[in-house]
Amino acid sequence: MSLQAPLWRSIAAFRFASLAYAAILLAIRPIYYAHWGWAWVVLAAMTAWTIVTTIAYSVPARRTWLLLAADLIVTVLALLSTALLQTHAATSTGVMPLTATWLAGPALAWAVVGGVRAGAAAAVVIGACVVLLREPLVATYRSTALDGPVILLMAAMLVGYVSILITRAEQALQRATEIEAASKERERLARTIHDSVLQVLAMVQRRGTEAGGEAAEIGRLAGEQEAALRALVTGDGLVSPPSGELDLSVHLTRQASAFVSVITPADPVLLTERTVTETTAAVRAAIDNVRRHCGESARAWVLVDDEGAAVSVTIRDEGPGIPAGRLAEAAAEGRLGVSQSISGRIRDLGGSAEISSTPGAGTEVRLRVPRAARPA
Amino acid sequence: MSEPATRVMVVDDHPMWRDSVSRDLSEAGFKVVAATGEGAQALRIVASVRPDVVVLDLQLPDVSGVDVTRGLHAGYPAARVLILSASGEHRDVLDAVKAGATGYILKSASRAEFLDAVRRTSAGDAVFSPGLAGLVLGEFRRLASDPAPGTPRLTEREAEVLRMVGTGMSYKQIADRLVLSHRTVQNHVQNTLTKLHLHNRVDLVRYAIEHGLDSGPG
Repeated sequence: MSLQAPLWRSIAAFRFASLAYAAILLAIRPIYYAHWGWAWVVLAAMTAWTIVTTIAYSVPARRTWLLLAADLIVTVLALLSTALLQTHAATSTGVMPLTATWLAGPALAWAVVGGVRAGAAAAVVIGACVVLLREPLVATYRSTALDGPVILLMAAMLVGYVSILITRAEQALQRATEIEAASKERERLARTIHDSVLQVLAMVQRRGTEAGGEAAEIGRLAGEQEAALRALVTGDGLVSPPSGELDLSVHLTRQASAFVSVITPADPVLLTERTVTETTAAVRAAIDNVRRHCGESARAWVLVDDEGAAVSVTIRDEGPGIPAGRLAEAAAEGRLGVSQSISGRIRDLGGSAEISSTPGAGTEVRLRVPRAARPA
Repeated sequence: MSEPATRVMVVDDHPMWRDSVSRDLSEAGFKVVAATGEGAQALRIVASVRPDVVVLDLQLPDVSGVDVTRGLHAGYPAARVLILSASGEHRDVLDAVKAGATGYILKSASRAEFLDAVRRTSAGDAVFSPGLAGLVLGEFRRLASDPAPGTPRLTEREAEVLRMVGTGMSYKQIADRLVLSHRTVQNHVQNTLTKLHLHNRVDLVRYAIEHGLDSGPG
């Protein structure tokens, strides 16, 4: 059911009410009319047209510009017939035209279909005809003669505005309904998957790891799928904050695997897009380093610590460690791997990178980037 | 065994996990006094089965994990809550820990790690996975911007220890690195939880007073 339907119903009600008003005026004031009988004929035509338009406008598909144009023409003709039917004295002293307030109908219909401008256009056409009728008017009546058309213009524009608002509200409502349906469906899927597949995968991982050998490999794969599927159904990273900032936690969590644990706070860690991209790249480089030096299945931990003014990310492994002076040596030899892809990136963000290592006790890379990054 | 077996209640809505965890516990010499898949039932029976440890999955169909944790404490304060949960439930885990849970272990942990966690929980020790350390650290960082008096703060040392736990270091490794005793490291970790628990209780009371919940009916 369209939200515009009540608007059309009120226009129909207005047309019938103003038709009755026109009939009453005609009935009690035959004195103003030179051809009273013919005036009733026009009123009968107006009644017929009111019924036709009410039926026609009730179906959205029939609200075409052809119908609207016909509506306007019929109304204007009925209005102009006043010139032939009323006495000249009555018309020129400002007696209500035969159509009375009924003439507003098309302006309102145009406004509902076409908005403010269409409503205004129809109102101006009708208003112009009203002024035209009183053309031989005495000067003193000139200003009051404009009252009706101006009020009509305002009413049509107002209805047009309301119609636009209703259309927008309808679209918003539709979108909200769609989003709600989608998120309900997502929730339903998430619940189902959580209760079934995820539990089994987690169990396979646990039992597989205990059994060792090939089963451990299967367990590891199950664990990876569990994490991936969970991220999918919980919709991580789908919601982007309105500020245009990104959540560093979401981006780093994508680097997690069976060997790499990413530990984050519960609340999002929002940073500028550049900071997040560069920091994620630096962390990826550090993880690659762990793989290269400690083996594919070396464990590593990535900890995100949001200190407020700065965010620190620590990457730790339990490999053999880097002998003292080895890093500086590598840099001196022009092998830029660690210093460039990690330190360089973080320095560009106005942050710092520290690498500390104890031979035999693993390596720790600590990146620290300020919240308000220095412009590039 | 000379001392009575540790009494454990298992709350997990997935039958496969409930059975498996119960079996592991029984085989390891624990006494599984109840196993249920419903939070409401767990809250009803906790006082009568008197568990030392409740192994709790946060995602239950009927009651939220936080409410179960809080309810368990109210129903039988001696019970310690160990959360056994899947990864990626950050907010729920943090809320449950603030509501009084003293441990968190992932479902992907091995059987040995899990049994060790139950043992430590029953001994009154906090069981911190790296993930929980990260969450607790994050919560204190968040609270750091709250100027209200009485808001808990981390000491330098506690922050340092949490960061180390968060990067996967064992208490022993931390003790070696900081030249502290294992017990001291454990105490630092424990303190951070105690501060959160106290703060959470103070918060609840403040909320109750502000909303006139303390004055009773009328």
